[in-house]
Amino acid sequence: MSTASVASSARAPITHDSLPAWGPWAVVGGVLLAAVALGSATEVALGVLLLLGVVLSVGVVYVWSRAVEGSRRAKDRSVTIAVTASFLLAIAPLVSVLYTVLSRGLARFDAPFFTETARNVVGEGGGASHAIVGTLVITGVATLASVPIGIMAAIYLHEYGSGRLKKALTFFVDVMTGIPSIVAGLFAVALFVLFFGPGIRLGVMGAVALSVLMIPIVVRSTEEMLKIVPDGLREASYALGVPKWRTIVKVVLPTALAGIITGVMVAVARVIGETAPLLITTGVFSSMNSNPFDGRMSNLPVFAFNQYKFPGAIPEPYIDRAWAAALTLIVIVMTLSLAARLIYRRFGTDIR
Amino acid sequence: MMSPMTEPRRHFQQQLSELEASALGGLDLVLGQLDRALEALEHQDVELAQFVIADDDRLDGRYLEVHQGILSLLALQSPVAGDLRLVAALLHLIKHVERMGDQCVNIAKLIPLTGHEPPVREEILKKIVQMGRSARAEVVQCKRAFADRDVAMAEDLIARDRDVNLLNREIFRMAVEVGDDLDTREWAMTMILVARALERVGDNAVDIGEQTAFVVTGLFREFSDASNSGQR
Amino acid sequence: MSSAKSVEVSDLDLYYGSFHAVQNVNMTIQPNKVTALIGSSGCGKSTFLRSLNRMHELVHGARVEGSVILEGQDIYAPDVDPVAVRSQVGMVFQQPNPFPTMSIYENVAAGLRLNSRRMKKPAMDEIVERSLRGANLWEEVKNRLERAGSGLSGGQQQRLCIARAIAVEPEVLLMDEPCSALDPVATLAIEELIRELKVNYTIVIVTHNMQQASRASDITGFFNLEESGKPGRLVEIDETETIFSNPANKATEDYVTGRFG
Repeated sequence: MSTASVASSARAPITHDSLPAWGPWAVVGGVLLAAVALGSATEVALGVLLLLGVVLSVGVVYVWSRAVEGSRRAKDRSVTIAVTASFLLAIAPLVSVLYTVLSRGLARFDAPFFTETARNVVGEGGGASHAIVGTLVITGVATLASVPIGIMAAIYLHEYGSGRLKKALTFFVDVMTGIPSIVAGLFAVALFVLFFGPGIRLGVMGAVALSVLMIPIVVRSTEEMLKIVPDGLREASYALGVPKWRTIVKVVLPTALAGIITGVMVAVARVIGETAPLLITTGVFSSMNSNPFDGRMSNLPVFAFNQYKFPGAIPEPYIDRAWAAALTLIVIVMTLSLAARLIYRRFGTDIR
Repeated sequence: MMSPMTEPRRHFQQQLSELEASALGGLDLVLGQLDRALEALEHQDVELAQFVIADDDRLDGRYLEVHQGILSLLALQSPVAGDLRLVAALLHLIKHVERMGDQCVNIAKLIPLTGHEPPVREEILKKIVQMGRSARAEVVQCKRAFADRDVAMAEDLIARDRDVNLLNREIFRMAVEVGDDLDTREWAMTMILVARALERVGDNAVDIGEQTAFVVTGLFREFSDASNSGQR
Repeated sequence: MSSAKSVEVSDLDLYYGSFHAVQNVNMTIQPNKVTALIGSSGCGKSTFLRSLNRMHELVHGARVEGSVILEGQDIYAPDVDPVAVRSQVGMVFQQPNPFPTMSIYENVAAGLRLNSRRMKKPAMDEIVERSLRGANLWEEVKNRLERAGSGLSGGQQQRLCIARAIAVEPEVLLMDEPCSALDPVATLAIEELIRELKVNYTIVIVTHNMQQASRASDITGFFNLEESGKPGRLVEIDETETIFSNPANKATEDYVTGRFG
């Protein structure tokens, strides 16, 4: 077989016709506009129409593109539209939640909300400063407890552990990642009841419950970060005659630090909004209490829950406070995530 | 990983064996030149002698061709170990080929000098022809020894060369004792030069034998007294 | 300055669990010489190299039989601390691996600092400069010692790793394919450096690049396995010139001339 014959007979030309750049967009836009129009004219739900519109435009673009450009590009274009649509579908709830929380939470997102407590407040006014402090203290204590335990457990699992013990521990960490949060709360209650008798409510009980939830997340994320520290760095350190524990402390941990911090932030964000375990461990309290070892302690999720669940005669101020508390939680989580990002940017290490 | 079918440098191996064939083919050219030079000498054929001189260009061409091939192999393929020894030996071999060709030309150039009807002494001419045959046999043998990597055969060249050297001395003695006739003496002196050229051909064949041993063993040694016996 | 030492390897066998990786190696690694180990992939040469400073022990289940005697002391004797062995037998790896959290200066000082040797700043400065000079890197980095080591080019990073290794003044320097991740110019620079380093160190280098072995080493050892699944063996070790001009063993000849991969 000669190359000439291949080129003249079988080879497709390397130039081809193509749809105009605006083509697919025009199809999608047109179909969706039609769907919106149809939705306002009839009783059919807009979401269903939009979904059908996406399916329809995928079909139209495929047929059109196939006629002009051939089947390979037609598939490419229709899959592009389908994937983009799926992405939009996935973030739609997120946008919706953010929008709702913002629009409804801003009503009471004012100075008194951050300075006053809910003590003796009936109807309008009052604030959630006690709950904010409570959330920060409880989460802070939980973090202080779970980060060292989690990181050291991860170091054990990745750097030292081997054989059955490691497998068993990994299994239990996985199981712990999946336990329902109420179980963690019940565990904390059961633990403290053992020592202090029934009816005990303490901030630190909430912290213990949250720790139970946090530790497996910290272990997992830290382990993942330790995994991506290249073995080459450990070997380089060993080859310099550095003992193992020093290698871990001085080389491995600093290299993984940014990632570990991010993991901790994720864990904090995961537990800071927990309601159920706090409801049964910290109790409901409307005054300022910043001592986790002294009686009941309020916090934002429980505060929001309570405001929503037990409104007064005029429910609006209560409902507004609940939304404002939800917004505050989101702001705290976002601030933490942002801080984590900044830390990563500032101290982050490129791990090859 | 050591399966015999994988030979990653097949192209290089092929180039190398082609180069060797080309260089050894040079020895065939030498044989042709030697045959014609001896025939021209025997029959005082000046015209045939001219052909020998003209045809030396082919040998020189072969020398340049092989030399160039060796240079590119060295530059592009970085041969090592056995391959490296072969390449180095081929470089020597082709030079010896070229020199043997030059000796044939030397003989051919001597033929017209003795005139149209030289006073030939048959007994000397017979020795010359005998010597030519021996030298020719040496060339054949060195070629086979090299191609077969046969060290024993290569070492046997020394014995052959000793015969050639003895003949050379004999011819020298006969020429010295040829008598007072001026023309005869001049012819006899020319025969000494022819004998010397043939002796040099033999030495070159021995040198190729040495290269054979080098390719096989990796050790270079001059074969016994091959180079210092006889007149140089 | 450190003094180069010879290494005497006797009847060394290496196993990963039940897998026999390297069989019965005997060799004397001569001081102030560059010894290159060549051989096809999987023949055990890297494993063997790592057994010279007990780095192979980082792999679970690896064990060694036989002895490796470094200047009169068997490094596999029961009372020997592998960590101490590694401070005498340094190592440079295939991928340049400067510590990413440390500056150029800290990288070179790492071996001393991580071993918590307290040292005055001028003394440390001197060691860092001497090591960087020794690795032919000083002139290129002297004005940016506080920058991150990972900002250097691949070849510079590898020389930084060499500087880091020689800062702790080992007697023997092991190099595991130190140039395989580098471009030709950086490779030649490292090879030149290896030639200079042998004045003070005993160097063992594993390489896949036979030209590199022929250019940079004095002694060459050829590892091979008879067939896959069998342990690797040291087939032949001799002067590099001999290995590449007239090896004694047929397998060596076939390998260096490229008759098998």
